[in-house]
Amino acid sequence: MSSTKPTSSEDILGQKYDRCLADLLVKSVGVVASVIFFRRRTWPIALSTGFGAGAAYADCDRSFNPARIPGTRIIPQSEVKQ
Amino acid sequence: MYRALPASRQVASTSSRGAVRVVRRRIATEANPVPKKKKGVVRRIFWATTTLTGTFYFGSTFAAFNNQTYYDFFSDHVPLGQSMLEYAETHGWDKITIKDVVDTGTNVVVTTQRFITDTINRTPGAHDAVESAKRTVETKTEEAKAATLKIIRGTKARVEPVVTQVKTEVQETAQKVETIGKEQAQQVSDELASLVLKAEAALAGKPFPSDSTATALPDVVPAVDATPPSIAKDAEKHVYSVPLPLGFEPPPGFSRPAPPKKAEPEPVAEAESPLVIEAPVIVTLPLVAPSVSSLGESEPIISHLAGTIDNLASYLASNPEAASKATDVLEIAKNDLTALGERIEKSKLDERLALEAKLDEQTREYTLKLMELEMEAQDKLDDQQEGFRKFFDDERVKLAQSYREKLEQELKTQTELINERLKEEVIAQGIELQRRWIREIKVRVEQERGGRLAKLDELSASLKKLERIALDNSTYLDENIRVHALWSAVRAVTSAALGSPVRKPFREELRTLRHIAAAREDPVVAIALDTLEETDVPDVGVEPFADLASWFASEVAPKVSQVALVPDENAGVLSYLASRALSGFRFKRQGLVAGDDILSVLARAEYHLNEKDLDSAARELNQLKGPARMLLHDWLEAARRRLEVQQALDVVQTQATLASLLVV
Repeated sequence: MSSTKPTSSEDILGQKYDRCLADLLVKSVGVVASVIFFRRRTWPIALSTGFGAGAAYADCDRSFNPARIPGTRIIPQSEVKQ
Repeated sequence: MYRALPASRQVASTSSRGAVRVVRRRIATEANPVPKKKKGVVRRIFWATTTLTGTFYFGSTFAAFNNQTYYDFFSDHVPLGQSMLEYAETHGWDKITIKDVVDTGTNVVVTTQRFITDTINRTPGAHDAVESAKRTVETKTEEAKAATLKIIRGTKARVEPVVTQVKTEVQETAQKVETIGKEQAQQVSDELASLVLKAEAALAGKPFPSDSTATALPDVVPAVDATPPSIAKDAEKHVYSVPLPLGFEPPPGFSRPAPPKKAEPEPVAEAESPLVIEAPVIVTLPLVAPSVSSLGESEPIISHLAGTIDNLASYLASNPEAASKATDVLEIAKNDLTALGERIEKSKLDERLALEAKLDEQTREYTLKLMELEMEAQDKLDDQQEGFRKFFDDERVKLAQSYREKLEQELKTQTELINERLKEEVIAQGIELQRRWIREIKVRVEQERGGRLAKLDELSASLKKLERIALDNSTYLDENIRVHALWSAVRAVTSAALGSPVRKPFREELRTLRHIAAAREDPVVAIALDTLEETDVPDVGVEPFADLASWFASEVAPKVSQVALVPDENAGVLSYLASRALSGFRFKRQGLVAGDDILSVLARAEYHLNEKDLDSAARELNQLKGPARMLLHDWLEAARRRLEVQQALDVVQTQATLASLLVV
């Protein structure tokens, strides 16, 4: 994932943005499938775009906040102390 | 005594005389041998011892006063010597000198002479003259008397054995006497005459009593010869008893009544002669003693003679056989006696005349002698005085000489002693001085040595000081060089690490600096450099301040401001997107603004960077949290590195400055 030249810290966010966009594009595959399998029907396109967009968002969100793993909760320090 | 002298002469004179005297002695000894002998011996011994003792004591006393040693001996060893000396001293005998004796002698002589002359003048009679002469003679001839006494004793002693012999022969001779009576009487008469003559001649040098006895003796002797020995013995006894003690002290009673005595011999003779004559005529032999008793009081010898005749008569009466012989003898004796009396008278007259002449002559002679003696004594005294004076002077001179010599000797010895002592002292002082000198020299040498040593010490001390100074100097120089090197190295590192416009590694410079700093052994520098060297900063180098500033301004600050609104935790994609979208609508703050929000912090950092205060800017940015801090991480890292290097170099530089300050 990371390139040979280490990126500077201030460029990490842009990189994440790029990756999220690329993921979204990859996951929105219904147009291609509608054209090939459903002989040009519309509904497969919308459905697959929805599914793809949702998965891409989730991944993107996880990349921004790695602690957001399903089923887990991060207890803040203040709470732990109590 | 003086009677004895002629007797002794007689003894020595002739044999015929000796025979007569032997007979006489025989007769004398026969009469009463034992008592007479005893008495005579005792008296003789007594007088001899008395005289000797007296002479000895008196002589010793005077000798003791003249001789000290004898004085000691006499007082210590002789009994009664001490008391004798005391008595002599109390009576001043020791003061008596020869001169005194001579003076007194002369005085006595003068007085005697005067007395004699006076008496002679007063009574020109022969007896007075005789008496005075006798007295003078007495005083004059004391020595002669003493000598005669001795001679008498000697003769007595010599005579005594003869007497004893005579005694033994007396018995035989007693009968012979009668037979040869006539011849003997004749001889005796002759002898008596001569004796009388001699006695008269000796009268000049004899005391009167002796004279009287002497005269009495010849008177008696004829009778004695004829009579038994007892009478002769009695007469002899009288003769010896009187003179011996008389010696030189004739009994005054005897000497005084001289004139009657003088007159007496004639009457005695006269009385005797008739008596004696009577005896042969009257064969009955009447007692003579009563008729002579009147005379006996004045003249005891006559009465004695009478007694003797009576005794003879009684003897004859008792022996009528011998009477016839005796009458003849007595007759012859009587005739002889008468003739004797006449002759005696005649001879006495002659004698008197001769004696007077002789006395005068003797008086003159003795006066002359006296004068002579006086003169002689005076001369002698003068001579003696002169001699004594001379002797005294000589002695004085001699003594002075001897004392001077002694003194000189003493002085010499003293000077010698003193010289010797002085020499010893000088030697001792010399030794002492030498010792002192040696000590002083030693002390001086020690002082000199000490001084030199002190100088040497001083020199060495100064040398050390110089050395020290040189060393210090060198150390200063070294220190200076080191400081200088350090400074150079620090400057090199600074210029390489911080001053260069591009980022470049400075390990070489840092190593050099570290070597230089290690020589100085500064712990602070060492620690700072160690911490610096341990990191990889020297290899990488540090960003220049200009790069950092531009990096912050162009890249870091806008991106950080885009995430300014993102919460610190649980920030999702949406919050980031929202913050990015909203950041475009917010006002950019400028300058040193207050506030804790990211924008304010950024504004302050930017301001500090503009002020070229990287440290403050980094501190400001370091306060940020969350995504902004994540974004600033790299820049902060680079800034921190630079700041670290800068700080380490600052420390080194400060130390170098300190070292340079310490060196001077």
